[in-house]
Amino acid sequence: MIDRASVVVVGGGIVGSAIAFNLLKMGMKNVCVIERSYVSSGSTGRCAGGIRQQWSSSMNVKLAMRSVKLFEQFEKEVGMNIEYYQGGYLLLAYTDSESDDFVKNVKMQKSQGLDVDILTKHEIKEKFPFINVEGVKLGSWCKSDGHANPQIANIAYAIAIRKMGGEFITHTTVTGIDVQNGQIVGVQTDNGYIHTNTVIDAAGFESPKIGEMVGITIPVYGERHQILVTEAVNHFLDPLVINFNHNYYVRQTRHGSLIMGQGDVNPAPGEDIGNTIEFLEEMSEKMVRDFPIIKNVHIVRQWSGAYDMSPDAQPIIDESKSVSRFIYATGFSGHGFMLAPAVGEAVAEMIIYGRTVTTDISNLKMDRFAIGIEREHNVV
Amino acid sequence: MEGRILEHPILSFTRQKRVRIFFEGNEIEAYEGESVAAALHAAGIKVLRYTPINGRPAGFFCAVGKCSSCLMEIDGVPNVRSCMTKVRDGMQVRRQHGKGDLV
Repeated sequence: MIDRASVVVVGGGIVGSAIAFNLLKMGMKNVCVIERSYVSSGSTGRCAGGIRQQWSSSMNVKLAMRSVKLFEQFEKEVGMNIEYYQGGYLLLAYTDSESDDFVKNVKMQKSQGLDVDILTKHEIKEKFPFINVEGVKLGSWCKSDGHANPQIANIAYAIAIRKMGGEFITHTTVTGIDVQNGQIVGVQTDNGYIHTNTVIDAAGFESPKIGEMVGITIPVYGERHQILVTEAVNHFLDPLVINFNHNYYVRQTRHGSLIMGQGDVNPAPGEDIGNTIEFLEEMSEKMVRDFPIIKNVHIVRQWSGAYDMSPDAQPIIDESKSVSRFIYATGFSGHGFMLAPAVGEAVAEMIIYGRTVTTDISNLKMDRFAIGIEREHNVV
Repeated sequence: MEGRILEHPILSFTRQKRVRIFFEGNEIEAYEGESVAAALHAAGIKVLRYTPINGRPAGFFCAVGKCSSCLMEIDGVPNVRSCMTKVRDGMQVRRQHGKGDLV
């Protein structure tokens, strides 16, 4: 293993990998990623793969729009086909307050330059005749939203990082970070010591543990989310459909299988990646009600993964005030994959230029929690 | 050649009631208690579906519902395991091409 690096990224999931890739792309040498297990072993490999731009805060919309631009170039730039498909996102509203929110959000999203529209119940029925629209008030529809395969994207980054001369070290755990007079000196792993002055904490729901190593508190916790996949059927479902009211999302992969999940009513902690029979029962019941067409489709398997939840369900991306060049990109709250390309670019800019250049992410700084926060509404 | 076991050293098979099932629209011989795949096998039909990517023929393989080799379209529903589905009078059975369409 190498013993010196200009940057050590802790966590080889999609966020850490995207940051390392962008650092290398911008010309930095000796970039090192340390992954505790295999590539895509954590939340990324368990992720549903949705990529959306319909958010309730304008800066999140901007960041997501930048991410979509980068996903459109991903195959060319990173070097692998990640099954990216821009079939759109359809959000369904069932109550007056939800409808008001959608209308307000669409107006704001349009002002950011996003091609997004409100669909009436009738328009939804025309466009997607297989959806049971009973009780639907309206929908929010963005056709450039879409989905991709997170596991392949993670692997694509890892391969690219190695090709570009970076280190991507798997099956290695960071056990400590040396800090002297507020400066980072090195990173201790169970596989050797790496001298460095810059550490990026991209350890997902375990990022607080890395923060503790330098004495800072990161308000992130793991929350288990369950998910299932069906057998493959011929393509019929273009958009990823989100239903906040009935609490689910569903998409059809390029392979033809349907991937769907919900937020459990009393979610288990992120450390628990077990599955429940209740999840299968709840999902089957509501999905067959809203998509009667899938009533005979078999479920192939179920699994679960951890969301790295922050107090306002938005990412926390910042540099520590007390420890110089300790940067964290965490708290993605279930939206790390879709934001990763833009976040990778922004964090690499923070490290190389000292500030973000392409996209303003100042809304994601830690000090917002001291001021008072508004939670992102559009979360499953 | 008879495709059914008539004599077995340990088990005894009592042939049950004759039912009519249709393969690609043509009636074939079937008996209550048989699986669809068994009835097709007895009738000399070995190709049960064509695979999604290369369109290769696939037939009876594991016979216990695990391998997906015998997926067929039965009464309009795709991806039905013909080895695990018992025949019913009037059943319409078709070879599945690819992944199957939801209707």
